[in-house]
Order: sequence, then structure tokens, then C-alpha cells
Amino acid sequence: MFKISYFMEILPIIGSKVNVTFELTIVSTIFALLVGVVVAIISYYKVGGFYQLTRVYVSIMRGTPIVAQLYFFYYGLALYSAMIRNMTPLIAVSVVMSLNMGAFMSESIRGALLSVDEGQKEAAYSLGMTNFQLITRIIIPQAVRVALPPIFNDVINLIKTTSLAFMLGVPDIMGAAKIEGAKTFRYFEIYAAVMLIYWVIIFVLGILHKLLEKKCASMY
Amino acid sequence: MGTETPMVKVEHLYKEFDTETKVLKDINLTVNKNEVIAILGPSGTGKSTLLRCLNYLTVPTKGIIEIGGLRVDAEKHTKKEVIELRKHSSMVFQGYNLFKNKTALENVMEALIQVQKKPKAEAEKISLDLLKRVGMLERKDFYPSKLSGGQQQRVGIARALAVNPNVLLFDEPTSALDPELVGEVLNTIKSLAEEGTTMLLVTHEIGFAREVATRVLFMDGGRIAADGTPEEIIDHPENERVRQFLNFIKK
Repeated sequence: MFKISYFMEILPIIGSKVNVTFELTIVSTIFALLVGVVVAIISYYKVGGFYQLTRVYVSIMRGTPIVAQLYFFYYGLALYSAMIRNMTPLIAVSVVMSLNMGAFMSESIRGALLSVDEGQKEAAYSLGMTNFQLITRIIIPQAVRVALPPIFNDVINLIKTTSLAFMLGVPDIMGAAKIEGAKTFRYFEIYAAVMLIYWVIIFVLGILHKLLEKKCASMY
Repeated sequence: MGTETPMVKVEHLYKEFDTETKVLKDINLTVNKNEVIAILGPSGTGKSTLLRCLNYLTVPTKGIIEIGGLRVDAEKHTKKEVIELRKHSSMVFQGYNLFKNKTALENVMEALIQVQKKPKAEAEKISLDLLKRVGMLERKDFYPSKLSGGQQQRVGIARALAVNPNVLLFDEPTSALDPELVGEVLNTIKSLAEEGTTMLLVTHEIGFAREVATRVLFMDGGRIAADGTPEEIIDHPENERVRQFLNFIKK
């Protein structure tokens, strides 16, 4: 049956790997945001040539499982690219997760940009403001407020998705669990510990998400 | 009455959205300083389009627009010319179109600081004066979402006045308002008219047009069908279409 003593013993061992999860999450979030902003702006302005490309990218990233993307990148593309072959698993996972999350975030950001109504743009133009002034002073400040909650949600999803990193051999929480499991076969306690760790992280972020949503809604 | 200084000149202005939809057909119009011109007419006859062509929110197909001495030819206009042209006019919109992320005061100050590059203190002083003039001084720190439609529109008028335009363009400024809020906005516009602000006003408020306008244009089918004093156009219309329209409105 469930052995509390073993659970308590295993919890800090598995928990000590959260830094890998955080590392992956933070790096991927930063690059995903960069990708997301660029793709969103291309889609928003329908920049000739690039626009079709970004639509295909978003469609592929959102329309295929991330596990397949990980394998395709690390085992498939690696056959033809020395650069990918030389990557550590941690970097490879970061790249795929950034690209994947970037597609999702670009849609959140695009939606936010589109949420600023045409009338305000016309008002800015009618006063002689330039496109740049319109974007930086009117559209972005409003879009950020709209985009923050969904982006935060994307980050929460990203944290859970990092649990796939072990499939490429990154020694994260799941990796530690597997190693312990191979020694003791006490999967019941081990994966209970894994779930508890993820749940606590997501729970805390969930509270932050709620606060953020409230703050964004009441700003003006 | 006007001092006969032309503020706005429109020459042979055409707007075609495609070969089938010709919205404006050869519009010629001169607006003198201090004139208050009401533009009346049935829906879809190009009243708003004419107004929006003046500041290139709608790009005309061909023709010349001149405001405050700056001439722009539609067939060879540049981005720079358009921005310059826009600095000579300002617009009050049907949907107010205030910047939602800015307070009433910030809305009025925005163009002064960003477009006219005025120092902040000066911009604030001008803006506070204008907000006072439209009776919105107590609400200067409110965001648009916390203001009624009429209040938003009065801030919109202050914002348009701030840039000291050669001509103020009103695009159905009361059409989106609840009936009980129309009065406060019309009173604000009336006081501007009395101070001699040059204005072009697209409106469905015939009674108001009769009262404040120095000149009335009646548009029909993309053309100016009648042009005269309010007495001529509204009280004693000679044009058959004008008569039909006025009868229809009165019902």
C-alpha cells in the first residue's frame, strides 16, 4: 500500500529537479514571446510573402502533437543538420518548445492587436499621428492588457508540457521519477509525488493568473 | 459672417470604391473661415465619405483637396502630404473613438505632445482650458469607460479642438447617443459655432442644422444637389429631392 515514509523520502529527491523545469519554462517563454510578437505583427499587417509562411508555421505547430515535433526535430532533422546533432537535449527541447509555444502565443497576441477597434486608429490618424505613434502609444498598451491573461495561460500549459523533455533524455522531474522507479518499482508513491509537485507549481501560478486577470480588467 | 478667406477647397473630387460604386461624383466646394456648414441628405449619398476624404481616412480616387493652404492631389499624394493635411483639420466621430487607455485629459493632450511637440506643461494648460470649455473639467482623470456617451463626445470635441484646426469635421456626432444626451453635445457644438469655429457638420438633426449652420449642403447620389443658406434649403426648398427628404424626416 501507499507508504507515507517512502513518499516523504522521494519527494525532495524528485523535487530537486524543479530547477530543470523552471529553466526550460523561462527560456522557452522568453523565446516563445519573441517568436510570438514577430509572427503576430506579420499576421496583423499581413506582410507580403511572410504572412503565408507564418500561417503555415502556426498551422503546423498547433496541428501536430508536440511529442512528434520533439522526435522529428531531435531524431529526424538531426540526420541532416550537424547543428542539431551537436545540441544538448536541454537546448533541443528548449528550441522545440519555444517554436511550439511561439505559435500559440502569436495567436494570443494577434487577437489582442485586433481587439483595438478601427475607430481609435482613425482618431489617431485624423490628428496627424504617424503609424509608429499609433502602434506604440495606442495599440500596444491596450493589446498588452488583453494579451497578458491568455499568454499566462500559455505559460501554464508550457510548464506541464516540459514534462515531455525526458523523452529526449533531459533529467527533469519525470526523469528523476523514472530512475527511482527503476530502483524500487514503487510507482504509486513516485508518480503521486510528481503530480503533487506539478500541481503545487500550477496552483500558485493559477492564483497569480487570477490576480493578473483582475488587475488587467480593472485598469481602465 | 465669413471673412471670405477660403479654409477648405475641394476641386473635382471623385471617390469610387470599385467601378460599380461611385460614391462621390465631381464634388466642388469652398469653405470660408468662420462658416458652419451642415451637410444633409439621405443615407448612402456620400456625406460621411466626403468628410472622410478631407482628411484621407478615405482616400479619394481623384481630385484636389486644399486645407489651410496645403494642396493635395489625390492622384499623386504622398504619405507625408497626407500627414501634413491631417494636421490642418480634426474630426469628431459618431462613435467618439476616444483612446481607451488614456484619461479624458490625456486624450486631449495626446496630439499636442505627440504631433505638435508642445511641452507637457503647455499641452496640459491648453487641454484643461478646453475640458473646461466643454464642461468636462471635473472628469479630467476619468477613463472613457467611466464616462457616458455624451461626456465622451464632449471630450472628443475638446480633443479635436486642441490641435487648433483650420476646420473641424463632425461626422454624425450625435447619432450614437441616447436621446437625452444629444442636447449636451449639440449645445457644445452651438457654442463653438457662436465663437466662429469653421466647421463641417454631417448630421440628421435638421432643426439643429437650421439653428447653427450658416450654410447648408444637400447631398444626393454622390453630388451636392443644393447649396444655400438654411432659410433657402430648409425653410423654402426649391429642389424636389430636398423637399421629399425633409418631408420624410418630419414624419
